[in-house]
Amino acid sequence: MQHSCTPTQKTGLKNPANRTTHPVQCVKLERVMILFDRVTKTYPNQSTAISGMNLHIQPKEFVTIVGSSGAGKSTLIKLMTREEVHTSGKIIVGGLDYDTIGPKDVPQVRRRIGVVFQDFKLLPNRNVAENVAFAMEVSGTRNKEIKRAVPKMLQLVGLANKANNMPQELSGGERQRVAIARALIRQPKILIADEPTGNLDPKNAWEIIELLLKINRFGTTVLLTTHNKEIVNALKRRVITINRGRIIKDEEQGRYAL
Amino acid sequence: MIQFWRVVTTGARNFTRNMWLSMAATAVMTVTLTIVLVSFISNSALTSTIKGVTNKIDVSVYLNDNITSDQLTGFENQLKADPNVVKVTYVSKAQALATYQSENANNQKLLQAISETDNPLPASLEIKTKDPKNLTSVIAIIGQPANAALQSDPPSYSGTNKVTIDRIVHAADFFKNGGTYASILFIIISVLIIFNTIRMAIFTRRDEIEIMKLVGATKWFIRGPFLVEAAMYGIIAAVIALILAYTLVLGGAPKLASYIDVTSTIQIFKDYPILVIGGELIIGIAIGCFSSLLAMSRYLKL
Ligand SMILES: Nc1ncnc2c1ncn2[C@@H]1O[C@H](COP(=O)(O)OP(=O)(O)OP(=O)(O)O)[C@@H](O)[C@H]1O
Ligand SMILES: [Mg+2]
Repeated sequence: MQHSCTPTQKTGLKNPANRTTHPVQCVKLERVMILFDRVTKTYPNQSTAISGMNLHIQPKEFVTIVGSSGAGKSTLIKLMTREEVHTSGKIIVGGLDYDTIGPKDVPQVRRRIGVVFQDFKLLPNRNVAENVAFAMEVSGTRNKEIKRAVPKMLQLVGLANKANNMPQELSGGERQRVAIARALIRQPKILIADEPTGNLDPKNAWEIIELLLKINRFGTTVLLTTHNKEIVNALKRRVITINRGRIIKDEEQGRYAL
Repeated sequence: MIQFWRVVTTGARNFTRNMWLSMAATAVMTVTLTIVLVSFISNSALTSTIKGVTNKIDVSVYLNDNITSDQLTGFENQLKADPNVVKVTYVSKAQALATYQSENANNQKLLQAISETDNPLPASLEIKTKDPKNLTSVIAIIGQPANAALQSDPPSYSGTNKVTIDRIVHAADFFKNGGTYASILFIIISVLIIFNTIRMAIFTRRDEIEIMKLVGATKWFIRGPFLVEAAMYGIIAAVIALILAYTLVLGGAPKLASYIDVTSTIQIFKDYPILVIGGELIIGIAIGCFSSLLAMSRYLKL
């Protein structure tokens, strides 16, 4: 792909002329869903989880991030969801420059991104439909709209018949579907999943991956981390391998190699 | 607006989820608000009782039924001539009876003992002095044989009761202060208990709080339910305390009336129910919200 790169482009980056060492800066912003430019994250205990990372992910991509334990995968995701604040560098997600947001804007940032976790993080005292509705309640959606949207979303993730079940009554795979439904209910442009299959058996894991692929076909950018070799190799999608907070491999049809 | 209702319903839901803790917190708050209210009632009742006692006339001279108006004016003028005398008021037999009846309106036995046809109460002169402790000149006038002959009973002096009155005033002050201190003490206890209840609620709901944050809830959407919950302790406690106080004061008033002056307190309850109810509710809500905010500022990092 050939991108033009002129200083007039509003990339929000400091040094647009420096194109050889930082090709990231030459990407048109509207073509970038997630952009990291020399991002470093050092935790207060001085451990550096992400160091000088450059990364760009385009809209509608399906990207898998692999790396051994402690490589920095979760930290990378937490920087995107603003659970953690980067120490230096530039992060732009969906056109929003993270240097321009204050603590007050964090809820707004999270509403634009769907997030799914290994441990599901469902509210135990609410049923399936209420868990999905919760994400809409938080952002002030009208009850009428919620009543309309939730059944549709449960249909999409294949849980239409479990709307009134409590999370404890569901299998791991079903719980993860609820979490995905909740993440998608606000129609985010990006869905981020941190080891969504980590607690699931192979069959359930595949069902979740297939659901993510389906969501991706509908046009949502999907970012996934996993330790599951079979899944990565079968996907034949972009794989980014990180080690000690750096990208060591970035392949369009990657394989799991650690 | 819809967010506000969601916060309120979440708060109410959380209140019922921790029924035992909520009930304990509400119970403590009820005790506190009852003490606050009782202390307010007794303060106002004692204040008006004291006012009644200290405003009493200094000397009462009781007159024979057969006194002539000349004798009366003569006696009155003699008293008025004394520099220590501020005011002399003539109270007729009929007036004395009327006062007696109204003072004992709640006591049928005492009322039946006296009837209009056979009024045993004497007419009297009520003397108010500049210095009630120094009544020698007034006593001298009253004691003159000519004047003494006009009297049915020995005069009564508040001066002799002065020590007693002072003691009553002191005791009343003691009770009033005691009520205030007890109120403050129990408000502090309430704050501590609710602080702890909310602290525990924050800990037990930390997963839920984390999830709320992750799906993009604003700070006040997360904090709100904890405020609502604590305010509910205050509201429910205030309602219970008010029911207690109203039944006690309005129901117990006749029995209390002979000891202290509760009429003004009852009047406050009857005339300004909004003020009493509103005041109690506001105190309850304020204690709840304050404690909750305190707990959140320490334990709910967002
Ligand atoms: N809150 C934190 N405070 C300090 N150090 C942290 C914190 N979170 C992570 N780290 C450190 O940062 C590094 C990267 O951690 P991270 O959780 O991102 O790894 P990961 O790739 O997600 O690992 P895993 O595959 O086990 O989930 C690790 O060395 C970890 O010890
Ligand atoms: Mg991780």
